Amino acid sequence: MILLASSSPERLSVWKQGVRGFSHISCVGSFDLLREKFERSKPQILLLDDDLPGLDGPSHIADLKKLSPETRIIVFGRSLSDETEWELFKVGVRGCCKKDIDPKQLISVIAAIQQGELWIRRTLTCRLLDELGVIELEKNQIKDAASDLLANLTRREHEIATLIGYGESNKQIAQRLEITERTVKAHLTEIFRKLKVADRLKLALIVSASLGTRN
Amino acid sequence: MQIITVAIADEDAGRRAKFENCLQGVEDIMVLKNATSSEGEMTIDRRLNPRKNISAIENIVAMMRRLNPRILIANYKQCTDEDCAMLVSLRRECPETLVVLLADESVQQEEQVMQALASGARGYLSPESDSRYLLKAVHVIDRGEAWVPRKMLGKIMDQVLQWCLENSIEVHLDPAS
Repeated sequence: MILLASSSPERLSVWKQGVRGFSHISCVGSFDLLREKFERSKPQILLLDDDLPGLDGPSHIADLKKLSPETRIIVFGRSLSDETEWELFKVGVRGCCKKDIDPKQLISVIAAIQQGELWIRRTLTCRLLDELGVIELEKNQIKDAASDLLANLTRREHEIATLIGYGESNKQIAQRLEITERTVKAHLTEIFRKLKVADRLKLALIVSASLGTRN
Repeated sequence: MQIITVAIADEDAGRRAKFENCLQGVEDIMVLKNATSSEGEMTIDRRLNPRKNISAIENIVAMMRRLNPRILIANYKQCTDEDCAMLVSLRRECPETLVVLLADESVQQEEQVMQALASGARGYLSPESDSRYLLKAVHVIDRGEAWVPRKMLGKIMDQVLQWCLENSIEVHLDPAS
């Protein structure tokens, strides 16, 4: 199903020509109606006019995404700035297009987005790579910090912490290392004290981060 | 007219020559020849000589510092830690040089390409690419844009959003943070 959201009959008419292949097409003319329909029908694709009455920028679109995370949203604007477009992509929009797009091009855009592509203007592509680079840096910093923390543990404590990271229970760890559960608990108490964590979930997060598997 | 200087780092002399030939006749492009080794034609004199007493990464960074190309086309055989470290070093030490990778089908696996792009590469293309695509990639990257297929951009965006989501959840879950 595809949902078209615009208060302009002309725009809806052009969009309808571009989405003729869809078995079910539905139109709404305000944000309130859109929200209601969106939540109920969870469409595959939403074509969204940025002038839709009641729509108040990226935060409203972020709310919609929460109602149906799988829906691919394409926003149509007259002259969206790089900054505005970037904000839209950061809330999960998959494509931004000009309002005066012709039906043929609209077909290509929808097909591309259905295949997992991002319809983003070329000037924003480096910003996306920069963002990826920052994330990589943060991941490495977290990995280093987690590894530094674990470096304070003895070899045996490290071994037990790693097994906690793999989700093993105290009983499984005891069996694997051929020690008693009581000894495992004693080691864990010491590990928690050294790492200043209160439970095994946080310990597991530190271990995963040190292995770079947090994501 | 602004000239785009291009260096090609590829140990395969035949392929390097092919890319050099393809770019040489172009009005706004100047190829800085042989950014790989001391073999072959030397037109940029001793600036192209690798030094023997430093690591491969230091060597290529030092070479790029001397040549200062706008675009470095680098062969990317596999995503080793060393390859990524080289990209990170180049980005830090030679921020004016933009790297585009030659990655064949065997390398063009999502994870590896993503890692290379996260480490600083501005795009990638197949070594078998038509010369038109190579030219277009050079111009696009020179303009400050990326040369990455839209599908990969979609995957990168997924990863960015996933990271943001995971971090916001984690902050929410952890009262100590």
